[in-house]
Amino acid sequence: MSVLFATDVHKSFREGKETVEVLRGVSIEIDAGEVVALEGPSGSGKTTFLSILGCILTPTSGRVVVDGQEVDAKKPSLLPQIRKKSIGFVFQQFNLFPALTAVENVEYALNIKGTRGKDAKTQAEEAIVAVGLGDRRKYLPRDLSGGQKQRVAIARALVARPVVLLADEPTANLDSQGGMQILELFRALAKKDGRGLLIVTHDPKVRSVSDRVIRIADGLIAA
Amino acid sequence: MVDLAYKMLVHDKFRFFITVAGVAFAVTLIMVQVGLFIGILDNATVTIEHLDADLWVTSRNTPNLDFVHDFPETRIDRIRELPDVDKADNLILAFMNVALPSGATETAVIYALEDFERWGFPWNVVEGRVRDLRRGPYVFFDESAAKRFGPFSVGDYREVQGQRLQIIGKTREAKSFTTTPLGFMDYDRVQRLAPDILRGKTSYVLVKLRPGADVARAKARIASILPYNDVYTKADWAARSRSYWVVNTGIGFNMFLTVFLGCLVGVVVVAQTLYTSTMEHIKEFGTVKAIGGSNADIYAILARQATVSAVVGFILGAVPSVLLRPLVAKADLKLIIRPELAGVVFVGTVVLCLASSMISFRKVASIDPGLVFRG
Repeated sequence: MSVLFATDVHKSFREGKETVEVLRGVSIEIDAGEVVALEGPSGSGKTTFLSILGCILTPTSGRVVVDGQEVDAKKPSLLPQIRKKSIGFVFQQFNLFPALTAVENVEYALNIKGTRGKDAKTQAEEAIVAVGLGDRRKYLPRDLSGGQKQRVAIARALVARPVVLLADEPTANLDSQGGMQILELFRALAKKDGRGLLIVTHDPKVRSVSDRVIRIADGLIAA
Repeated sequence: MVDLAYKMLVHDKFRFFITVAGVAFAVTLIMVQVGLFIGILDNATVTIEHLDADLWVTSRNTPNLDFVHDFPETRIDRIRELPDVDKADNLILAFMNVALPSGATETAVIYALEDFERWGFPWNVVEGRVRDLRRGPYVFFDESAAKRFGPFSVGDYREVQGQRLQIIGKTREAKSFTTTPLGFMDYDRVQRLAPDILRGKTSYVLVKLRPGADVARAKARIASILPYNDVYTKADWAARSRSYWVVNTGIGFNMFLTVFLGCLVGVVVVAQTLYTSTMEHIKEFGTVKAIGGSNADIYAILARQATVSAVVGFILGAVPSVLLRPLVAKADLKLIIRPELAGVVFVGTVVLCLASSMISFRKVASIDPGLVFRG
């Protein structure tokens, strides 16, 4: 069953007087429990594609369906609702809140998504334990290693049980061994609950945890 | 619920300190200036407030309590005939020369009544008995007069308008707007000290109405039988006296300017520090949006930060303002900080801090959550 579906997606940006077409008809479909790697050189359009799939940008044309919800490019005000309900993000730079502890970073994501109080606390604690940071749940991000920060980010992405997980270069700031551990953890947790996981990457290690690899170049899916 | 706003705010302790220090400075500035202003105005009408009169009859167009124009004292008879009037007495208020032992001459504002006790006046007698004023050439002075007259004691003599009077009592907190010392004397004695201008004359008629009497009706009745006088309720007369000083001396404008500058300092400091802080945390706000937060979530964060800054800044500003009172009193000034003033300053502080946060909000509301993907 498809949890993320995009077809013939185009995206253009205006740069001064010129229009730059970053995506030129890209399509993708990810099923529940499937792990897909999206590879491509810098400037190929993969982050723009990720932003569109993550409902951060709207396509210039084309169709995007997330968790059964049609993304309407004419109603950008509805995008936060889709992000809130159906999508979990993991970023290259972790993007944790420096003032919050590990468990609070996870709990805050739940708060934003509408879960509060004791439920949020309990779920956040469980998520932090699930990524192996039970003993560091009260640490601030500055006191965590890169791998530990990314584990917190994964817990934050997974905790509200979104059906789609989008990761942007999740191993780029980690050493080789730490990166592999993170990828295996991410895959296991995504598979466990049948979520679709798309990993945008340059890292060849990602291939080993992916069910499928898609290459993008010059705004098009490469053969 | 995780309080991201508060934790972000106090995470950078130095910036938080700068923000609340700016707010506290503005709060102190406004509270002290307005408190002193109220204190000065309180002096201008403190005697009106303490005289137990419902109505004040003045000569036509008297601008304030101190700038008296005398009128015939016999007009009181027509007032006393009115059924709503319980009691009415003439009050003379006169500036008189006081010769000091040093040879210098100072001025005193003398309040003169036939029966002070009937009007509960003066209200804070620290030495002597007011009723003794009727028994001879005696005078009471407020103890604050020592600043202008030099030290004096009960039993001392002073020459007032060329006549030797004995000081038989002291009062406390009886002051005038002009800082001229206040004295109290028997009505007849004052007229004898300045017969050329006061014989047969009075400055005011104080009127106390019977319980349950209609004040507006009594006021209109007195105005109709005394067409060459004005009649004010106690509150109106106090307001007229205060407004004279506020409008005609420029202290009102000065006060407005100070309050405006205080607000400006607070707004600029809060807006600037919140904006800088917001810019430094822009990626975090982008993350809030990326994980599904709306503009309302962002504004809730900024509003909470502004409110916390306002509350902490207010406390840090208000407490020293209150503690300054004894120090100010030593300079013979009154710093009056009533709960209403504190309430208005508090609400104003919160509102202005929230308004300041709008600048940051405009910036954050327009950020692209896609910035979370940038390294």
